[in-house]
Amino acid sequence: MPLLEVENLFAEFHIGVGTVQAVRGVSFTLDEGESLGIVGESGSGKSVTMLAATGLLPDYAAVSADKVLFDGKDVLKMTGKELRRLHGGEIGMVFQDPMTSLNPLFTIGNQLSEPLRLHKNLSRPEARERAAELLKLTNIPDAGDRLKQYPHEFSGGMRQRVMIAMAIACNPKLVIADEPTTALDVTIQAQILELLSDLKRKLNTSVIMITHDLGVIASMCARILVMYGGIVCEQGTAREIFRDPRHPYTWGLLNSIPRHLDGERRKLEPIPGTPPDMLAPPPGCPFAPRCRYRMPVCDRFGAPETVLSDTHRVSCHLMHANAPKGVRP
Amino acid sequence: MNTQRNIPDAASYAALPKELFEPSSASQRDNELISRPSVTYWQDVWRRFRRDPLAVGGLFLILVLAIMAIVIPMVSPYTYSGMDLSSMNQGPTWRHPAGTDQMGRDQFIRILYGARISLSIGVVAAIINFLIGVVYGGVSGYLGGRADMIMMRIVDILISLPQLLYIVLIMLVLGSNMFSVILALCFASWTRTARVVRSEAMRLKHSEYVLAARLSGAKAAHILRKHLIPNAMGPIIVSTAFLIPNAIFSEAFLSFLGIGIQAPMASWGTLANDAIPTLLSNPHMMLFPVLMICVTMFSFNFIGDGLRDALDPRLKR
Amino acid sequence: MLRYILKRLIAGVLTVIVLITISFFLMHMMPGGPFSPSEQKNVPPELLARVAAKYGLDRPVGEQYIEYWKNLLRGDFGISYKKLDTTVNETIAYGFPISMRVGLVAVILSLVVGIPLGVIAAIRRAKLWDLSAMAFATIGISVPVFVISILLMYLFAGVLQWLPTYGLASWRHYILPVACLTFTPIAYIARQTRSSMLEALEQDYVRTARAKGLRESAVVLKHALKNAIMPVVMYLGPLVAELLTGSFVVEKLFSVPGIGRYFVQSINDRDYTMVLGITIFFGIFVIVCNLIVDIVYALIDPRVKISE
Repeated sequence: MPLLEVENLFAEFHIGVGTVQAVRGVSFTLDEGESLGIVGESGSGKSVTMLAATGLLPDYAAVSADKVLFDGKDVLKMTGKELRRLHGGEIGMVFQDPMTSLNPLFTIGNQLSEPLRLHKNLSRPEARERAAELLKLTNIPDAGDRLKQYPHEFSGGMRQRVMIAMAIACNPKLVIADEPTTALDVTIQAQILELLSDLKRKLNTSVIMITHDLGVIASMCARILVMYGGIVCEQGTAREIFRDPRHPYTWGLLNSIPRHLDGERRKLEPIPGTPPDMLAPPPGCPFAPRCRYRMPVCDRFGAPETVLSDTHRVSCHLMHANAPKGVRP
Repeated sequence: MNTQRNIPDAASYAALPKELFEPSSASQRDNELISRPSVTYWQDVWRRFRRDPLAVGGLFLILVLAIMAIVIPMVSPYTYSGMDLSSMNQGPTWRHPAGTDQMGRDQFIRILYGARISLSIGVVAAIINFLIGVVYGGVSGYLGGRADMIMMRIVDILISLPQLLYIVLIMLVLGSNMFSVILALCFASWTRTARVVRSEAMRLKHSEYVLAARLSGAKAAHILRKHLIPNAMGPIIVSTAFLIPNAIFSEAFLSFLGIGIQAPMASWGTLANDAIPTLLSNPHMMLFPVLMICVTMFSFNFIGDGLRDALDPRLKR
Repeated sequence: MLRYILKRLIAGVLTVIVLITISFFLMHMMPGGPFSPSEQKNVPPELLARVAAKYGLDRPVGEQYIEYWKNLLRGDFGISYKKLDTTVNETIAYGFPISMRVGLVAVILSLVVGIPLGVIAAIRRAKLWDLSAMAFATIGISVPVFVISILLMYLFAGVLQWLPTYGLASWRHYILPVACLTFTPIAYIARQTRSSMLEALEQDYVRTARAKGLRESAVVLKHALKNAIMPVVMYLGPLVAELLTGSFVVEKLFSVPGIGRYFVQSINDRDYTMVLGITIFFGIFVIVCNLIVDIVYALIDPRVKISE
C-alpha cells in the first residue's frame, strides 16, 4: 500500500477580490521509503499541494479531492486532534527560511522538546536527552550547550539542521522539505542535502522534496513531479524526466540550466514570459501562453493525462493523434 | 471540477479536429502581457483611501467643520462676546443651537470660533513639527555615524520625558496666548517625526538609486530632497496625520487645566474648563465643546488610519 | 546583560541632568518668577527672604545652579514660593503615595484587561468580538482623558448617582478615577496586542509550531503571544507618562489629593519653585520607570543582549 495517495486534489483561497486557484487537480502516489521531488516555479502550486495534502492549510482555504490517503487514512476527513497527531508525529516538515522558522524567543532545546513531549510523551529530562541526540544526528557540535542557546546564536546552515532535527524528532514516516536550501549558501546547500540523504537512508523515511532547482532534485529524488500553474505537467522517474522529457515546460526547465557540456559555450535560454495569474487561470493549458509549440487546442482545452509507462505520465496536447509528430526540444 | 481545466472526456478529445493542432504563430506575443493596468503610486493610494468609509467620513467631517468655522461667524448675527442678558443659561434652541452661557453669549458661535482656534493650532503645530522633524531626522539619518548618534541621543533624551511637562513649563515662560501654545506644542512632538524620518532615511540611503545619484555627483541636500524624502513620504505622512489630533488634544488639555488659551479667547478646551462648575446643572455647556473635540480627534484618527492602510503597499488588494 | 543595564543607567542619568538643567533655566526665564527682580516686590518679604536664602537669589546664575544641584543631591527638592511653611518634599511625600495607589491599580487593570481583549480580537478576527473590541479601542484612543472623565462623571455620579466623585475614602471611590485613567491605555493596549498578534500569527515560526502538531492554544499563547507582547512591554514606559499626565485631570476633577493635583494647583498659583521641584521629581520618576521597563524587555527578549 502506498504511503501517500493523492487523487484529483484541488485547493483554493478565497480572498477579497476573488478566488486563487492554487492547485487544480493534482494526482500522485508515494511509497514507503521513496523519495519524490516536486519541481516548478514560484506560484506553480507545489508548496500548497503538500500543505493541502497534509491538512496544514488555514481555514479560509477550500481543499477537496477524490482521495487523499496517508497510510490508508483519509486526511481530509480527520478531526483536529487526529491531524495534530499526524503533524510532527508521522509527518515532519522542513521549511524554507531557517531564519524565520524558529521562534526567536525560545531556546533551541525548548523548541526541539515540544514535539517529543507532545507525541512521544517524554518527560522533560528525557526529551532533553533525545534532543541532544537529534542535534548530534544532524551534525551539530556541542549538542548539550547548544540546547540552551537561542536561534539568533546559530548560523543559517545550523538553523536548518535544527529544523531537520525537529522534523525527524518523532521518527516520522514522511518528511516534507519545502525549498530547504533556497535560502542558504551553495556550500551549505550541499551539506544539508547530504544530511537529508543520509537521514533518509538511516531512518528509512519517505521524503518529498519541493524545489525550483533541478540540480537539487537530480541528486536526491527517485521520482519527479513537474508542476506549473497548479497542475502536474509531467511525472516520472528521474531517469525518464532527464533522459526522455515530454512536456514543453520540462524541456524549458532542462534547457535553462546553465551548462558547459563539452566545453562549448551556450546562450542561457530562459523560458520567456511570466507565470499565470492564479486568480483567473487561463481556460486551457496554463503553460500555453509561454509555450513554443502552442496550438489552438491549447488555449481552449486542458490536456488529459497520457500514460507513457507505469511511472511516466504527461499532460500535453502534443500527445494527441492529430498533433505534429516527433516534436522534441 | 474538471470544468475548471476544461479537459474533455476521452471520446470528445479523440474527435477534436485537426485545425486545432496547427502550430500557432501568434503565441509569442502574449508573453509579456501584463495582466493589470498600471497606476501611479499616488493614484493607487487615493484609490485605496477612498475605499475606507471611516477615513473618507473623517475627511468630510473635517472639511465641513472647517468651512463652517470660516463662513458662519462671518454671516451670523451673534458675535462671540456679544451678551444677551435676557437669555442666559439656556439649553439648545433654534436661535441658539448650542445654548447660551451664564452671560448670555451664544455658544454655537463660540464653539465655531473655538474651532478656528483649535483647528489652526492643531494644523500649524503639526506642520511645524513635521518640518522640524523631517529636517532633523533626514539630516541625522543621511549623515549617519557620529553626527547621527549625537542627534539621536538628544532625541532619546527628549522623548523619554512626558511631553506635557515640557509644554507646561514652556507655557509658563511664554505666557498663555495662541502663539506660545503653538510654540510649546512644537517643542514636544517633532521628536517622534524625527525618529520616523531618520529610520526611513537610513533604510533608503543604501538603495541603488541613491548610489546612482551620488555617483553622478549630486550633493547631499539634493539627494535628500529629491530622492530620500519623496520615497519616505508614506510613513512620514501617516505620522504627521496623527500629529494633528495630538496637537488638538494637547491644546485642549492645557486649556482645560487653565494654562492654555485664556479668556476672552476661547478654544474648545477653555470652553470645557469654564463649564466644569455647571456640569450638572447645565450639561449642554460642557457637552458641545467636548463633543467637538471628540469628533475632530476621531476624524483625524480615522484619516490617519486610512492613510496608513492606503500607503502600505503590502496590503495590495 | 550587565553592560546593557549600565548603558541604560548612564543614559537615564544623562537625561535627568538635561531635564534639571532645562527646567532650571526655564524657571529663570519666567516672568513673574522668584528669579526675576520685577516680580519680587509683589511677594511678602518673609517669603522672599526664605526663598532667597534657599536658592541664593542674589548670587550669579551659575552659582544658583550649583546650589540647586547640591540641594537636589541631598534629596531636597526646594520650598514653596507662595506658601510660607510648605516644602516641596512634604508635598511630594503627602501626595505621591495617593497617586501611586490609583496609578498602580490603573497599570495592572490596563494590562489585565487590554491584553486578553487584544488576543481574543486577533484569534476571532473579523467576527463580532473583534469588530466591537476594535470599535471600542478606536473610541478609546481618540477620546482624550478629560473628555472621558467628564462623561463618566456626569453619567455615573450626576445622572445615575451610582458612584462617588470626591476623594478616595472607600474602594468605590477608586472606580471612577481608575476607569477614566485606564480608558485610553486599555484601548491602546488592546489594539496593539491585536495587531502584533495578527502579525505574529502570520510568522513562519507559527507555521512551524502548527507543523509540529501543537495544540492551537499552545501555538497562540506560547509562541505567538510572547512575541506579540513585546510592543506592549515597550509601551509601559509611555504608559506611565500618560497616567502621570492623566492624573492631572483626574485628580482635579475627582478631588483626589494626589501629587498631580498639587502640580496643577501650583501652576495656577504660579508657585514657581514648587512647579520646578515637582517637575524634576516627575522627570526622575518617569526615567526610573523607563529604566525598569528596559530591563524587563531585555529579560524577555534574548536578542537584545547581543545587539547592544
